[in-house]
Amino acid sequence: MKKLELIKIVITVLLCSLLVVPIILSNHSWPTHARNYLLVNAQSDTGATNTVSAIYLGYRAMDTLGETLVLLVSVTGTMAILVKLGKEQTDEETTSFSLTPEKRPTNRLRTHLLETVASKLGPIVLLFGFYVMLYGHISPGGGFQGGVIVASAIVFLALGTEVKSKLTSTFVLSRIESLSFLLLILASISGVFFESGFFGNPIKSASSLSANFIILLNIIIGLKVGTSIAVMCIAMMGGSHDH
Amino acid sequence: MIIERILIALLFLSGFAAIVGMRNIIKKIFGLNLLNASVVLLFILEGSRIGNQAPILDADITNMVDPIPQALMLTAIVIGVCVSALSLALAVRLYKATGSLDIQVITERLQREH
Amino acid sequence: MNILLLSLILALGVYALLAKDLLHSVIALSAISMLSALLFTILRAPDVAITEAAVGAGVSTVIFVWAIRHTQRRDKEEP
Repeated sequence: MKKLELIKIVITVLLCSLLVVPIILSNHSWPTHARNYLLVNAQSDTGATNTVSAIYLGYRAMDTLGETLVLLVSVTGTMAILVKLGKEQTDEETTSFSLTPEKRPTNRLRTHLLETVASKLGPIVLLFGFYVMLYGHISPGGGFQGGVIVASAIVFLALGTEVKSKLTSTFVLSRIESLSFLLLILASISGVFFESGFFGNPIKSASSLSANFIILLNIIIGLKVGTSIAVMCIAMMGGSHDH
Repeated sequence: MIIERILIALLFLSGFAAIVGMRNIIKKIFGLNLLNASVVLLFILEGSRIGNQAPILDADITNMVDPIPQALMLTAIVIGVCVSALSLALAVRLYKATGSLDIQVITERLQREH
Repeated sequence: MNILLLSLILALGVYALLAKDLLHSVIALSAISMLSALLFTILRAPDVAITEAAVGAGVSTVIFVWAIRHTQRRDKEEP
């Protein structure tokens, strides 16, 4: 039966390649109208010198709203599946990487090396994440990048220290995530009241301040992405038993 | 240029073959990750053909790379990791319910319970 | 340079699918993320490079290692 399965797999891959390979190998010339327009007008339309930030926060901000919604749904789904998993294995604490070490009698998973390096590096990476988030409109960076770096920093802090602090508890982090999603919806509607359309820039008239809307959106998106991925990782490591 | 496209097409097809052909669920999820990586590489490669400077507007920039595929791929990378996380949670749940990671064994055991 | 990096990515991808120990495959996927980030920097896409490096090294590897930890580590061939 193994030969039959192999033939089926080969036929499937050949059919897929018939559809996909001509698309990948085609050699049309890439159009340059969008790039020429953005070279001239991106700064005056949105106020940001990083054109990639100007696109996903100014011209196509609806995509960003949809992407934060996908993050919210997937983290909710993962936590819903994991919480049921956590209830079934309250007896085998020896294998879960929980945050308190007295429940792990035999294998010492948290060594001195991990504690020292992770607890010392955690605040530095958090600061770097906030820097990348705030300077997204004039240098490479922005909401997503800073958010993922902040999530890594929170995972470092959860791995490194034994003391349960408020920053690494899933209760506080999930409240911050819901609050920042609400702020994102409010910021997107605020353009309607100031006559620039949905997701429009409400302070467009003052020419020296028009980049502030992009900075505000960067901070909100960064907080949302960071706390949502941190909640998922901390729940996976076994720290979600406290509510 | 054509050799790079052939390599990306091979990466895409190997990711697809892993989803169809491998028996372990975790290997199928590896294939999904490879599929994602190949599409992101293709878009950025194609978008970088028309220029040779990074898309940050300095004082004297004339020939920058197309920034639109880069903005689209930012969203695609984050969504790819979300899909991987959710499918891995489902795979772990299936393992706890049936005791195996092989897709045919799982199908047999789930049919036997009904 | 692009061709060299792409062929390394392809070789690591095929190794990740054929390895018997799943931890080796996870390390190969993390190496694919790192090489992709390098390739994006060469192709003048700094935002995508930062995102791919942070996501590939920070989040994706952690969730894969978690999944292997709670299931089996070896890819047993059941008859």
